[in-house]
Amino acid sequence: MKTANLPPPTPNTQSVASLGTPNNWMPAVRSVLFVLCATVIFLAGCNQAADRAVPSSPAPQKQFTIGMSQCNLGEPWRVQMNADIQAAAAKHPELKVIFKDAQNDTLQQRAQIEEFVSSKVDLLIVSPKEAQPLTEPVARAMDAGIPVIVLDRRLLGDKYTCFIGADNKKIGKAAGEWIAKALGGKGNVVELMGLQTSTPGQDRHSGFLEGIAGSEIKIIFSADMKWLEPDARQEMESALSRFDKIDLVYAHNDPGAHGAYLATKATGREQQIKFVGIDALPQEGVGYVRQGILDATFQYPTGGAEAVDTALKILQGETPPKEIVLGTRRFDRDNATSGGEIIK
Amino acid sequence: MAKNSSFDKKNPLLQAVASPAGRAFLALLLVLALGLIFNGDGAFFKMGTHRDALRQASVYGLLACGMTLVIVSGGIDLSVGSVLALTAVCSAQMAIHWHWSGWLVVPACLMIGAGCGGVSGLVTARLRVQPFIATLSMMVLARGLAKYTSGGMKVSTAMMNADGTYRYVDVPPLFRWVDNRILGGNVSMVTLIFVAGFAVAWGLMSRHRWGRYLYAIGGNEEASRLSGVPVLAAKTGAYIFSGMFAGVAGLCQAAQEQQGDPEAGAGYELIAIAMVVIGGTSLMGGRGGIGLTLLGVLTIGYLDKILSINAVPEAGRLMLTGVIIVAAVLTQRRSRT
Repeated sequence: MKTANLPPPTPNTQSVASLGTPNNWMPAVRSVLFVLCATVIFLAGCNQAADRAVPSSPAPQKQFTIGMSQCNLGEPWRVQMNADIQAAAAKHPELKVIFKDAQNDTLQQRAQIEEFVSSKVDLLIVSPKEAQPLTEPVARAMDAGIPVIVLDRRLLGDKYTCFIGADNKKIGKAAGEWIAKALGGKGNVVELMGLQTSTPGQDRHSGFLEGIAGSEIKIIFSADMKWLEPDARQEMESALSRFDKIDLVYAHNDPGAHGAYLATKATGREQQIKFVGIDALPQEGVGYVRQGILDATFQYPTGGAEAVDTALKILQGETPPKEIVLGTRRFDRDNATSGGEIIK
Repeated sequence: MAKNSSFDKKNPLLQAVASPAGRAFLALLLVLALGLIFNGDGAFFKMGTHRDALRQASVYGLLACGMTLVIVSGGIDLSVGSVLALTAVCSAQMAIHWHWSGWLVVPACLMIGAGCGGVSGLVTARLRVQPFIATLSMMVLARGLAKYTSGGMKVSTAMMNADGTYRYVDVPPLFRWVDNRILGGNVSMVTLIFVAGFAVAWGLMSRHRWGRYLYAIGGNEEASRLSGVPVLAAKTGAYIFSGMFAGVAGLCQAAQEQQGDPEAGAGYELIAIAMVVIGGTSLMGGRGGIGLTLLGVLTIGYLDKILSINAVPEAGRLMLTGVIIVAAVLTQRRSRT
């Protein structure tokens, strides 16, 4: 035995005594109590929130439960996606949607998908944070017989029922074509780009270049504003002090276009310059167009309503197309109040 | 201001350059020289460029003023970016949605900032939690509060009607006033707010007993306690002021964006710390000054602007900024003899 080799145990009076004194135990006890209290309070708050989130609907016919796994409700656009799903589902009393928010944490989203599978929902809508780590949990849901609709971001392989998403390149191209037309084929454009290490930022840029190809439009200044309004404002100020003739600002999102407008308004040149953004959230971009701040914005659709429509079809036994690419909508000064114009 | 007149009394010019203020000034001059060379087709020589550079540096500068108080006392405040977001959201809520007048919104913002600062100050000074941990907790907590109070959405001039459509209200006069320009459009109001904040911080640090206490605590906390310095109150006060500066910065941020963004100010605490350190204030506490921080604010502010007017790509900007921060801090280190 190993213990035989050890020296005879000498009682370490000091440590034994100090372990026994209440003074040394108190911090541990206190912190455990603190954590317990905090957890209880937090959970109580969560339960309330969950109660509010679940729509209460009477059950006249066969009920279907849909699990919706959202990757991050910290983004307004994703809040809108959930709101769209909720609004579309409210029209169908037989549908009950349970929302879960993974708070931008891949592993949490994975756990939430697994929770949905073990609680045997009838259908799963997943807007995944990342492709690689979430492909397998979704495949396992399919194995368990639960159809899965993947929203917005793609997964690897094809083990899902239906993918619904928008195409940033198409949206960028639509913006480019409209801009070329609005400027009469030539002019100086400032491009405020979204984070250029992100796919949406890259696609909205390359699509734009495709859209203005063949025209005499020059991009005289371009900067990465990382989707952030303060950064867009700062870059626009630089562009304004450097160039006397700017015809249009194309920003990869509406906050960016808004920041550019504020920078321009401070110099009094806002009448000479047009502002175009992307995303067209009702409370943001569409609002800016209606307030006369932006000249146009192109919708990046959430697909929430389409997801619920597709879910209904699947639940009624139909086979949906494997992939649904959403079109965009242009909101400009003429049509912002009437719901924009659909661009295929 | 730090005084090290104990050595090299021969050449007054050399002595001036060798002082921390001299070195920080040299760094600023170098950055400005960079602007003269890479002037972006003459954009650097326009008045508007300088006005914009100062406007942009003002929010960071306000944070840096509060940060200086805390760092001199030997602590650090990581929560300023999140407190900024919290007050930005709250001020937008109060000014846009509740139509409160500026006389109510400004004190409320100061109170919110002071509350956050007071909590992290007490946790540090009274409960003896390390400042890094205490303010890290406040950074997370305040960010959560900002997201909670705003419901995760930007608090903007768009208000939802009962039927899910939106109506739009006017930008409140307070926001217009803060985002205004005066003196013929040559000075931004936020820059003046920063200057006022700087004056307050300077008065506290250089003309008030409390400022001396902070230096003493940053130099040697135990010795200060034994000499009768009210360590608990003085230290907590530094965090309270840092929170209040963050509160004002949050109001300025919201006014400039015309909305309260719960994601605002992420990473601003690190920029503020960099500004303080570039000035020559020691992270170990007890050494430095608010005047040095002003030089640091101008250095980073102008560096940002010069990179921006030259449309330097993001990757290059980050690398250059990193190199210049290290270089500036290295020149500062030699002065510690």
